[in-house]
Amino acid sequence: MGKHHGKRQGGRHTRRHPSSPSSRRRRAGYLFSLPGLAFLGLFLAYPLLYNVWTSVHDVDLGTLLGGASRFNGLANYRATVADPDFWHAVRLSIVFTLASLLFQFVIGFALALLFARPFPLNGLLRSLLLVAWLLPPVVSGTLFRWMLDGESGAYNALLRATGLGALSHDWLTDPSTSLAGVVFANVWVGVPFNMLLLLVGLHTIDPELHEAAAIDGASVWQRFRWITLPLMRPVSVTVLLLGLVYTFKVFDIIFVMTGGGPVDATSVLSLYVYEIFFRFFRFGEGAAAGLLLLLVPLLAGGLYVHRLRREGEAA
Amino acid sequence: MSYAVDRRGFLRAAGAGAAALGLGSVLTSCGSGGQSGGGTVTLTWWDYFTLDNFQPAFARLVKDIESNVPDVRIERRTFPFADLDRQITLGAVSGDLPDIAIVDNVAMNSLGGSGLLADLTGRVEEWGQSGTYYEGPWAGCQVDGKTLGIPNNSNCLALYCNTRMLDSAGVKPPTTWDELADAAQKLTRGDRYGLAMSAIRTEEGVFQFLPFLWQAGGDLDTFATDGATALSFLDDLVAKGSLSEQCVGWTQQDVNTRFVNQRAAMQINGPWQLPSLKQADLEWEVVALPRDRTSATCLGGENWVVMESSKHQDKAWEVLEYTQRPSVLVPYLVALGNLPARKDLADTGTWASDPALRLFLSQLSVARPRQYGPHYADASQAVAVAEQAVLTDSAAPTAAAKSAAVKIDKALGSQ
Repeated sequence: MGKHHGKRQGGRHTRRHPSSPSSRRRRAGYLFSLPGLAFLGLFLAYPLLYNVWTSVHDVDLGTLLGGASRFNGLANYRATVADPDFWHAVRLSIVFTLASLLFQFVIGFALALLFARPFPLNGLLRSLLLVAWLLPPVVSGTLFRWMLDGESGAYNALLRATGLGALSHDWLTDPSTSLAGVVFANVWVGVPFNMLLLLVGLHTIDPELHEAAAIDGASVWQRFRWITLPLMRPVSVTVLLLGLVYTFKVFDIIFVMTGGGPVDATSVLSLYVYEIFFRFFRFGEGAAAGLLLLLVPLLAGGLYVHRLRREGEAA
Repeated sequence: MSYAVDRRGFLRAAGAGAAALGLGSVLTSCGSGGQSGGGTVTLTWWDYFTLDNFQPAFARLVKDIESNVPDVRIERRTFPFADLDRQITLGAVSGDLPDIAIVDNVAMNSLGGSGLLADLTGRVEEWGQSGTYYEGPWAGCQVDGKTLGIPNNSNCLALYCNTRMLDSAGVKPPTTWDELADAAQKLTRGDRYGLAMSAIRTEEGVFQFLPFLWQAGGDLDTFATDGATALSFLDDLVAKGSLSEQCVGWTQQDVNTRFVNQRAAMQINGPWQLPSLKQADLEWEVVALPRDRTSATCLGGENWVVMESSKHQDKAWEVLEYTQRPSVLVPYLVALGNLPARKDLADTGTWASDPALRLFLSQLSVARPRQYGPHYADASQAVAVAEQAVLTDSAAPTAAAKSAAVKIDKALGSQ
């Protein structure tokens, strides 16, 4: 082994003498990345490829055991695209994602501006806010399911106690408000994440800019509009792209709160795919719908990486 | 998508872990037993009886089996209720399946056509005891003319009434739909509803709805008409305020909580609520579900199945047969608080003397299994969505029934 190794290296020496140390280093680099590559291959690439395979085969509970599933081309994709429930789920996913992102971002930005100023207990309050983000979604989903309950929920009790009883409502069991209910919960979960990243962004803005503008007589609003907002753009785009990736595939909190109902008012794409898989056991179609569900986060992820690279080049 | 990938990845990791930890011992004991000829066979057994209060009954049954069925050891593993079906499916992919399992009777629809279950027809014929079972539970084990399981225990739905509330309202327990609607209306007062039932968007809600469809004289194949009748009956209850619209979010457990907290005067529920109700500070009685054109209730409970992949099907059948002996079955069911699926045991055990259990047992003769074949899940989903649409006022009963019927026919016609 050692002998062989030496011989090969010798051969290299005669051919490409000067680049030898760096190429050796590069080879060592590949070696070091092997565990990572193996991990990715085993736990990412393999299941993903298996999923692609499943999506072009006729796989259901019956064909699963015998392995007799037939290649059926794009039939699973055609069945998915022809299913009105799929498009309903797509629409719901888009509404859920856009509404969540909008509120998470605006509230997160406002809180970041607040916490960017020093005040007593700033650190403590900021860490307390993070709890919302750290809670397992099953826990926060259950909490909101109880709080939004029509009969015994905390929100209706609060409304009644403040004389706004007329506004109390069966939030989650009314199809016209249940989506708003799950968006509400998801915003609560997402705000701290937005706030944290935006806060970091705010700290990178040179305070001298604000001081100079203030001396020139700029109002608070003018400084926010013409200094903070433009300088926060790169961070904001990053936060929104990451938020898009996370929000589009949210499953657990909705599953716990409404299970996709009432009727089909909260059956977003992730729940649709879950039901195809584990309620109807149509694995082929589920895999196809799943890959379609992957498109949006993949696109957003691609944009994100692209931006990162461009920023890296600019720096 | 990412969910499916995660599950698969997880499955593989978990499968490897399980193999390394638990199954290693199973395999070695199988190997040593099987090869030495006539040695001990280890059977793996899956079920979803995870709650603590079930464990003594199962510990005793397993011990009974191990000491009375020759050369057998049991490795029992439990999963949460919602996970067992999935686990068996995933097990089919990874090749990690038990020898025997106790599955929900409705799972016979999806498992029945999958080829995962061993055909017990020949053994059952030789055994000759099929006639001792109630018709519904037994029919629930037959798929395409083959016997793919035997009943483990059975239950069904009935109507619980808060006797004090009924007395003070001067209402008798209802026996027909008209009486039910009338009683529910009279019993509704303040924040108390006359009736509570589950209309949640899962199989649980469908389990509670199907009796109304059957009582109307129909079945899934006549959903467009009889489904509309059943849906409009429930719609009226909601419209009159006798049944809370919130029932579209209630599980059967939520329903029982309402009944115990006296927020509902009557509830539709099963015998598994009896232990908690007996401890509650509340006077109640159980009556049969009110009838319309006919009497009907929905069959619940579990079936024993043997996996086709098992290498020890003979031994597995021996175990199943042993559990059905009255001397074994009665103490097991009594300890679980469950009812037998066998008519010949009606006069033994706690259900012979306890009036509530006796009522549930008597209803097994009109309990129907949800036996509709491999695409039942699609039909069930259509029923649940139709019911939710009607009760939340998103659709009229006739329209909801009609569009559900299209989906049901498509699902059940494509078998």
